[in-house]
Amino acid sequence: MSTLVARSDLNHQILSIYSIITWVSAIIAGVVFGALGVILVRFRERPGAGGLPRQIRGHTALELAWTIAPALILLVIAIPTIQVIFRTQGAAAPSNALEVTVRGWQWWWEFRYPSLDVVTANEVHLPVGRPIVFLLEGPDVIHSFWVPQLGGKRDVVPGRLNRITLTPDRAGEYWGQCAEFCGASHANMGLRVIVEEAPAFERWVASQKAVPPEPSGDAAEGKALYVRSACVGCHTLRGVSAGTLGPDLTHFGGRALFGAGLWPTNVDNVVAWLKDPPRLKPGSKMPNLHLTDADAKALAVYLTSLK
Amino acid sequence: MSEHAPAAAPHEHASVRTYVRVALILTLVTALEVGVIYIRLLTPIVVPLLLAMSAAKFALVAMFFMHLRYDARPLTAVFVGPLLLATGLAVALMTLTGAFLVFGR
Amino acid sequence: MAALATTISWLTTVDHKRIGILYGLSAFAFFLIGGIEALIIRLQLAGPQQTVVSAQTFNALFTMHGTTMVFLAVMPFSAAFFNYMIPLMIGARDVAFPRLNALSYWIFLFGGLFLNASFLVGTPPDGGWFGYTSLTLRQYSPGPGIDFWLLGLQILGASSVMAGVNFIVTILNMRAPGLTLMRMPVFVWMTLTVQFLVVLAFPPVTVGLIFLMFDRLFGTHFYDVLAGGDLHLWQHLFWIFGHPEVYILILPAFGIVSEVLPTFARKPLFGAPVVIYSGILIGFFGFGVWSHHMFATGMGPVADAAFSIATMLIAIPTGVKIFNWLATLWGGRLRPTVALHYAIGLIALFTIGGLSGIMHASPPVDLQQTDTYFVVAHFHYVLIGGSLFGLLAGAYYWWPKMTGRLLDERWGRWQFWLMFAGFNLTFFPQHYLGAIGMPRRIYTYGAGTGWAFWNRMSTIGAFGIALSILIFAILAVRSLRHGAVAPADPWDGRTLEWRTSSPPPVHNFDVIPPVYGRDTFWREKHGDSRGHKPAPLPAIADPHGIHMPAPSFWPIVTAAGVVITAVGALTHLWVVGAGAAILLVGAWAFALEHHGNPAHADQTGDLGVDHRKLAMWVFIGSECLLFGTLIATYLAYKGRSVMGPHPHEVLNIPLTTISTFDLLMSSLLMVLALAAVQRGDRRQARLWLLGTAFFGLVFLGFQAWEFTEFVGEGLTLQQNLFGSTFFVLTGFHGGHVTLGVALLLTLWILDLRGKLGVADAPKVEVVGLYWHFVDVVWIVIFTVVYLIP
Repeated sequence: MSTLVARSDLNHQILSIYSIITWVSAIIAGVVFGALGVILVRFRERPGAGGLPRQIRGHTALELAWTIAPALILLVIAIPTIQVIFRTQGAAAPSNALEVTVRGWQWWWEFRYPSLDVVTANEVHLPVGRPIVFLLEGPDVIHSFWVPQLGGKRDVVPGRLNRITLTPDRAGEYWGQCAEFCGASHANMGLRVIVEEAPAFERWVASQKAVPPEPSGDAAEGKALYVRSACVGCHTLRGVSAGTLGPDLTHFGGRALFGAGLWPTNVDNVVAWLKDPPRLKPGSKMPNLHLTDADAKALAVYLTSLK
Repeated sequence: MSEHAPAAAPHEHASVRTYVRVALILTLVTALEVGVIYIRLLTPIVVPLLLAMSAAKFALVAMFFMHLRYDARPLTAVFVGPLLLATGLAVALMTLTGAFLVFGR
Repeated sequence: MAALATTISWLTTVDHKRIGILYGLSAFAFFLIGGIEALIIRLQLAGPQQTVVSAQTFNALFTMHGTTMVFLAVMPFSAAFFNYMIPLMIGARDVAFPRLNALSYWIFLFGGLFLNASFLVGTPPDGGWFGYTSLTLRQYSPGPGIDFWLLGLQILGASSVMAGVNFIVTILNMRAPGLTLMRMPVFVWMTLTVQFLVVLAFPPVTVGLIFLMFDRLFGTHFYDVLAGGDLHLWQHLFWIFGHPEVYILILPAFGIVSEVLPTFARKPLFGAPVVIYSGILIGFFGFGVWSHHMFATGMGPVADAAFSIATMLIAIPTGVKIFNWLATLWGGRLRPTVALHYAIGLIALFTIGGLSGIMHASPPVDLQQTDTYFVVAHFHYVLIGGSLFGLLAGAYYWWPKMTGRLLDERWGRWQFWLMFAGFNLTFFPQHYLGAIGMPRRIYTYGAGTGWAFWNRMSTIGAFGIALSILIFAILAVRSLRHGAVAPADPWDGRTLEWRTSSPPPVHNFDVIPPVYGRDTFWREKHGDSRGHKPAPLPAIADPHGIHMPAPSFWPIVTAAGVVITAVGALTHLWVVGAGAAILLVGAWAFALEHHGNPAHADQTGDLGVDHRKLAMWVFIGSECLLFGTLIATYLAYKGRSVMGPHPHEVLNIPLTTISTFDLLMSSLLMVLALAAVQRGDRRQARLWLLGTAFFGLVFLGFQAWEFTEFVGEGLTLQQNLFGSTFFVLTGFHGGHVTLGVALLLTLWILDLRGKLGVADAPKVEVVGLYWHFVDVVWIVIFTVVYLIP
């Protein structure tokens, strides 16, 4: 998840300036440290040397030189900076762009594809090579959407619609994380971006649009329990419940991690979570529902079956 | 009461007559301000007009009642500097929060 | 008994040197608290998924670490040197307002204790030192932690602004004869710049804090998105303060280094006027770059570009300073004292912090660096490598002057190298951690992130810093007990503080020292650049004799009133009442303590202006920023209320025109009152003073009537954004009018009792200035709130 590895056009643009500034900084640092080194070697007080050094009060030409030189150096940084600002922020999104609405919640991510009628949480699938417009909406506090390899972060601000436009240029999985302090579990607000070739992406979209099959066995028991309990108040599970405060669970089992990137999705982990969410994730809005072991197990089996 | 303070006084202030004259102008400008908002013809320029009159009143009080006209220069600097800064920040703040809709959001 | 007397003498002291020592000790104590917080943070992050503290505790720790280090450690550490050194360096016997100076200190101390008391009651603030809304609203931070934080910050702000006014007046008005502005030592210049920054930068954040306080306590809507509020407003108000604050923290260190380098290089500061001007420029530009803290918030490309360029411009004067320091060292004969070690350490480390700062000036790059450990590394290079190294240079440099004892140079060098190594081990790897994607303010991270190794190194480094600070404390205590006695001028110093004994007598100088030019003391000893010694100036007879201010209980009492009021805001209304009563009694007793004392009658200084008058003007400058922010917020929010009543439905222009006229006329009466007092015409003075107060009361009556009407029409503080902004703006103005009336009535009562003579004219003038300012503010409010459609 290094910022220095570019997997999108946006991050390539950023790194082009990054490298200019890094080189300029290194050169300036070299000059200053070089001068300091010479000073420390040459001008240290030697025993026995008497009298005062030459009392020089200043030098106008030098002052002018080291005022103008930095100004010129800054131009080298400023010009490409301004160009990239307007190239990455000013231009209108291309018409073939895929819009993804990102909503930052305390402490998880909701992703909606308005044109595809797909809703998911904490794992976002993108087709490689197609421009993406992330529309950032904040329902509670300020968060910041950041996937380092795909480019810079952008705050998710309630009352404002921010956007990031980028084109992922290589298939792969990229880690992201909330970058603006947003309360107790700020550290536990990760996300995964899965960039895949167009056919794979289409398959994924199709799977998301499908309604999961009716469960059987333990899972059926879990579903009955789900319908009876407080889960339905907060979670959407298409065809079952329509809550809006928690992640959409329709394809919960199809996501590799849950809890905003915290744990691999498997029955044991989900049981542990269901037993006491606030203990595992400080401040969690999902309360401890005081489930019995059996109930938690049934629910976990059901949820993980939802591929 | 003397019209003019003696020259030896530490700061030479305006006379009472000047003060009364300034107060009269202030009253007049205030009346004008209230007047112009009812004149339909002036609607397009009413905001700059009001701001100009307000600034004029502000300046009159600062220069005469607060004696900036008669006092040491540094006092003016200590006041006008922050005043300009405050004005600049206020305009910037309004611009950035979209009050003028100058910058696209 | 002797111990008691000593304690009382410290509690009531108004001696700038003692207050300086108090600031230093308090700052060091808070610095240790903030340091322990940092160590716990580092322990938690030493490896993946540590459980040293809980998430909530971690969040409180970094919130309090930041708040403590900025407001309770670095700022008061600088204040210690301002207090102790500025009067000595300008050849004065004390500051302009010694009791106000004590008041600033006690308010600072009590404010710091109040903030830390949040730990004792178990609800420390946990919203970050930047307190971004909406996280800090009641809805998302229900406990009292944020209330502690925002009340504490307001208290500390009040203390800082008072001290700021005091030092501006001191420096501008109390310089020894011959000490022209351009002859002033660079440290004095940087202090002056910093105090202007304090006085002008605190009001905007104070307004932001007041909005937040009203939102949390009284249900207003300043940061309520659903009511039309804008969350960027808080960020703007915070950073309009927050960026100048960076220079408030660093410029004193730059000043110290500019004294230490020439002393130990035995050469004058290279390009001293350029160093001074660049410091002023840095301070001035500092007000125009705040939004570079907000590149990720989505301000749009135009604002991003504008603030990016402005930020890069600041790099120029900063670079100029560094080059001038290098040129100062070049060709010198460096005496490798510990103070010089720290000063050169600052040049090296601040260069690194400055260069990473240029990286953030480029918004695209900043988007990858902000809110990561790269930024943590950057500002610790600035604030430790810069500020703290500078302050430690100052500590080693001025220690003999302040204590009369020398610090151990050999151990001091070990202390420096341990600090230098520990610091770099702690913070240099954090650049890398940020670059590989580690965000700030996370209490835990996964094992698979690859962040563990350098975090562990960072934690080890942090304990190196802690050990180094411990050694410093031991050296300090040992020096006080066993240190070699310091002569008056142990370093062959250049400035006036070295011209008096170590430590200086209470009155600083038996005779106010002559000033021959920049580095005046050096000139006296070694002559100018060609070795010509100046012809001795005749000693200046002190026109008033040596008058030292008497100790006073009222500063500490008044400060107690302030903090008790704040405690009341978190507990019971009656505590607020008690606190306010103590505050009022304290303030009035404070104000009248020396009334009629002939030694205080004439306070005319170098600018030919009375100290009190200059102070009032500086304060009015500060108030410009306060009201400017309030008015800007009103206008920014105009038309954004999502429900009525709207302004045109309720505002009563004819009525307000009358009250405006009333206030304008009160200003006329005020000038007449002043003229009468100056003439010694007591009858007229009484009449006009009472008249002014009466007109003020009439204005308040109009306002009360207007407010009642509005409430009747459904416009309350909580009704909508218009109600919130309108009542807070006009209410604040009304509060100012009320204070003005109280001051006028005080003068009137003094006059009735025959205690307002011609000599007291400056007091009437000062109250008058305040009154006229309240009037001009109303002129603006009347136009922009009532008249502009």
